[in-house]
Amino acid sequence: MTGNDIVDITAAAVESNWKRTGFLEKIFTQIEQEYIDNAAAPTQMVWRLWTMKESAYKIYTRQFGGRFFAPQKLSCSLLNKNTGLVTINHISYQTITSTANDYIYTIAWPEACADFYSACFAIPGQHSTSQQQFIYEKLIAHYAGIQCADKNNFIVLKEKNNIPFLYCKKEKIKIPVSITHHGSYAAFTIN
Amino acid sequence: MTTEALMEKLKGIVKPYVKSEEGFKNMTENSDFLNDLKINSANLVDVILDIETEFDIIIDNDSMEKMLNVKAAMDIITTKLNEK
Repeated sequence: MTGNDIVDITAAAVESNWKRTGFLEKIFTQIEQEYIDNAAAPTQMVWRLWTMKESAYKIYTRQFGGRFFAPQKLSCSLLNKNTGLVTINHISYQTITSTANDYIYTIAWPEACADFYSACFAIPGQHSTSQQQFIYEKLIAHYAGIQCADKNNFIVLKEKNNIPFLYCKKEKIKIPVSITHHGSYAAFTIN
Repeated sequence: MTTEALMEKLKGIVKPYVKSEEGFKNMTENSDFLNDLKINSANLVDVILDIETEFDIIIDNDSMEKMLNVKAAMDIITTKLNEK
């Protein structure tokens, strides 16, 4: 089981002004604010920490249910340039972050579950419904490919709270997936 | 402040961050900021900061935690205004 989150740097620059008064204080702990203050590239650090929180939140809510908006409860520590740890209510998730020129992408997973596949890619178009379809098709093509199965056997569905899974029609099984999309970029993870 | 007036103010606040025109057109107390209005979660912080400025209130972390839909936002604003 994994969670992931992507931020399109260009889209984020238009949509969010992280320098506005109060913004960082609402989201980040004191330690995280120090990471940002001391970062050579503070914008990238803001979105790295943000994607760490979001990806960990996605697993946490999948495991324990519920919904909440409490970014400070998901507390980040950085281990090295790419890896980190997010802790919430004494539960920790490991993270790995890829930083490209145009996007920042983080995957989080619980200790016991380090085996997963992830793909991150640019998506064409502007319309969110067709972009979503594009992501679903890529995910299904990947899984059908490794299973040597017919693509038509699979469909991406969402449970309550918008948690997605890949449904195998014939076998009637649900495979947890995590899907993220922002601006011109998207990614998925599957175990 | 009446519920209608509060709703109008809230509509003005969320409008710049809404990604679903359809969701905004049909915005009610039951609308979810993320699922119905398609506000991205980083912009939810902007909504909260804008609410603080507009109503001159402080939204603490415990209140922010529940701020996922219009009803919760209206309840929190009303409570904070009554505390003033």
